[in-house]
Amino acid sequence: MNNKLLKPLGLGLLTALSVASQSAVAEGDAVSIINDKCVACHAKESDTSWSRISHMRKTPEGWLGTIGRMQVMHGLEISSEERATVMKYLADTQGLAPSETEGYRYALEQRMNTHEEFESGLFTEMCARCHSGARVKLQHRPESEWMHLANFHIGQYPTIEYHALARDRDWWPIVKEQMVPMLGKQQPLESTAWSEWLKAGDEAVVGSWSVAGHMPAKGDLHAVMTVTEKEGDDMYAVALEGAFADGTPLTGEGSAIVYTGYEWRASIKVGDETMRQVFAVQDGTMTGRMYSADDDSRGMDITAAVESGKARVLAVQPAYIKAGTETELTIVGANLSGEPSLGKGVAVVKVLKSSDNLIKVLAKAGKAEGVNTVAVGTTSGAELAVYSSVAAVKVVPEFAVARVGGNGGSTAPVEARFDAEAWAAGKDGKAGTDDDFRIGFMPASWTAKAFDEQAAADEDLKYAGTLSDNGVFSPAGAGPNPDRKMSTNNAGHLTVVGTVTDGDSSVEAEAELIVTVQRWNTPPIP
Amino acid sequence: MKMTNKALLPLLAVSAVAGLTGCKEDAKPEAAEATKVTLEQGHEYMVVSNRPSQMHVIDLESEALIKSCDVPGDFGPGTLQIAPDHVTAYMLTDHYEKIYAVNLDSCDVVFSADMSQAPDERAKTLYSMALSPDGKELYTIQTPTKLYADHYEAMEPRLAVYDTASGKDAKPVRTFEVPRQISVMQVADDGTLYMAGADIYKMDVTSGKVDVAIPSRNWERPLYAPPDVLNVWPIQTPQNEFTILYSTAKFTDETYDMNTATWLWGYFNVDLETGETETRDFAEFTEIYFTGMRSPADPNIMFGVLNHLAKYDIKEQKLVKSADLEHSYYTVAMNHAGSKVYLGGTFNDVAVYDAETLEKTNDIPLPGGDISPSTAQVFIR
Repeated sequence: MNNKLLKPLGLGLLTALSVASQSAVAEGDAVSIINDKCVACHAKESDTSWSRISHMRKTPEGWLGTIGRMQVMHGLEISSEERATVMKYLADTQGLAPSETEGYRYALEQRMNTHEEFESGLFTEMCARCHSGARVKLQHRPESEWMHLANFHIGQYPTIEYHALARDRDWWPIVKEQMVPMLGKQQPLESTAWSEWLKAGDEAVVGSWSVAGHMPAKGDLHAVMTVTEKEGDDMYAVALEGAFADGTPLTGEGSAIVYTGYEWRASIKVGDETMRQVFAVQDGTMTGRMYSADDDSRGMDITAAVESGKARVLAVQPAYIKAGTETELTIVGANLSGEPSLGKGVAVVKVLKSSDNLIKVLAKAGKAEGVNTVAVGTTSGAELAVYSSVAAVKVVPEFAVARVGGNGGSTAPVEARFDAEAWAAGKDGKAGTDDDFRIGFMPASWTAKAFDEQAAADEDLKYAGTLSDNGVFSPAGAGPNPDRKMSTNNAGHLTVVGTVTDGDSSVEAEAELIVTVQRWNTPPIP
Repeated sequence: MKMTNKALLPLLAVSAVAGLTGCKEDAKPEAAEATKVTLEQGHEYMVVSNRPSQMHVIDLESEALIKSCDVPGDFGPGTLQIAPDHVTAYMLTDHYEKIYAVNLDSCDVVFSADMSQAPDERAKTLYSMALSPDGKELYTIQTPTKLYADHYEAMEPRLAVYDTASGKDAKPVRTFEVPRQISVMQVADDGTLYMAGADIYKMDVTSGKVDVAIPSRNWERPLYAPPDVLNVWPIQTPQNEFTILYSTAKFTDETYDMNTATWLWGYFNVDLETGETETRDFAEFTEIYFTGMRSPADPNIMFGVLNHLAKYDIKEQKLVKSADLEHSYYTVAMNHAGSKVYLGGTFNDVAVYDAETLEKTNDIPLPGGDISPSTAQVFIR
């Protein structure tokens, strides 16, 4: 095989979204780089328009994937700085409006355990069987460009019409006659959302941000993120200072860039680990995911609010209190002022600590169950569950994929991380009915077992990896294992059991875990 | 040549890594110096290809590798067809874009052809390669993409006919339009070209007229789902048949309830001597096989392989025996007597099984890397 075709197009490339080395970016620079590097193939149509390039809109990751493909497949020679300049220009001038990314940001955030569902079975079978459907949904083109994309698929991947779910149908006529017109209609180049977004001003990001979040199998976190201007177009220096609920610090420094006026991409060194941030900035808030550059499964859900903006309550940690008990709760927010209130039946016994972005209280819950709204002064936000007993547990995610890695190979292992989500039975006292309410993620004990008879016979539990006490599955090393039947690798099919102890009783739930081989092809959008 | 499992396993590990990463093997086959060995009349051989880019000839009587010939180009897929003269073997390689023919006596490259016919096209052949009964013509299906400066255009596939006497850099002598999605092909004794695609087509290679020989996607079998056919291994059987496995679901009634459907294996068959065709279920679907072959000794016996070597009684639709394998094998081949089953594909060895007992009797390691999706061919000189 030609090794040229096998260069990973992924995690390495994603670094390019947020590296500190990005230089000053100006539209003029980008245009001259495009005129210098791209016009050999892309005809110049006007001063700022080129064939193909100027007739589509996509996310920063989408543009990165395209330029990366031009480098790997078509011999484009471009420096990292030049690529960053072009990417910034294209994402800014031909990006997606925030509303156009809604519902598909999981792909940008590298949430690899997302189970996609689309209304159109045809779309699922024709597009989402090879890559995420989100990769398609995050592009806008006129029909003629969708047609080019379809032709590219068959030219670049000639086996495409021989795959399962392709060889059972007249694949190419369906692409041309059904898929292309459908995509051209549903995701056209021009949209009101985009033209309105272009008229709106960029989101402001400089300042201090109060951050709340949760990391599966680790717990809640809060932090303060300070953003200052840096040389370069929409470039920022970032300092993060905070901690997880268990006291582990979450502190680091890095740099960020904002694409398309709202797409925040940062790279922050936390201890030895480089963490990426993929956030959408909107009206003084940031939401998204922060994850490890080495293992995208190690990530946390983040919401943040700028401290100079509106008052906001972001979270209460933990988000539950047992009826009739006293416990410490932390309210995370921004610009908080006034008295904290935990809703009906939950008294604030004492305010232990109070600042603009953090209020720590000793709370006491009465006997009444339910979901309360947390407020500080006149600002309300997070929900606090008051429960008397845990009636049911769900393991989140219910279906996860971990991947073997390391062991001398080029690809690192990918963990799976589990949380136990507790639920209360509600008024009717029965679990599994409409009036159940979510209590929240609770500490649990964890065990794994073979998923089925086949997994037991193949000793998957022995070979596939180990599950820690806190719900982190670490897969075993990559490569054929001579000790296994047929020298197979350390793949496995397991059931993960999470058990929540509530007083004298315990409630358990299961999740399915597939431990499989490495992802060799890791484009910026899965 | 038999290796112990202990010796074999590290070899497998190395070849698996090579297969996954696409690394080229540095080691040249030791047997390459034996390129001058000529094949003996009446003797039974196997030709098989692997990485980095070789054809190997195995003497099936001694079950020993007797020679290795280098083939130009980047290996892949390595699909082989032995010519009717049993002197020349054709290999599809170089990223599915080139066919080379090698004289197995001299190891000389005697024929080559680019699937692309113009500087602005890139044509791939998806395992579609067959030879006329007299060996004078080579048939391939080329699926071209037209390469414009800033976009591609998917073109319709064509059947390209080559004169095998054209030597190197041959050009097609005739071309015909053919349906999309065709993979493997075989030629009948009367010269009719059979092609496995949406249906099993037959083509008059002079006029280019295409008819359906066996309906597959378009079959009309009441209470059956359309079959699934994955066939990229052009097996040449000792009994001169074109056999294609299918899997399907048979429903109990017209509610077409998947929950009560029976999942079945079956085969399409063209008798290349008579042109007689057959569509027949032979087993319940319990696992995947990549290839299957009826025994030349007993046409009622079907062998299937991927993660097991399985043996079925076709009439009884019953599994007779199943053997565990040391690793996956993609392709099955048999000797003309029908007494031995050879498993190839995947890694860099050919495993030999007794057709009666399914006991493993030998393992023939190949120098170099993975056989990958290549298909071994058995022939008598």
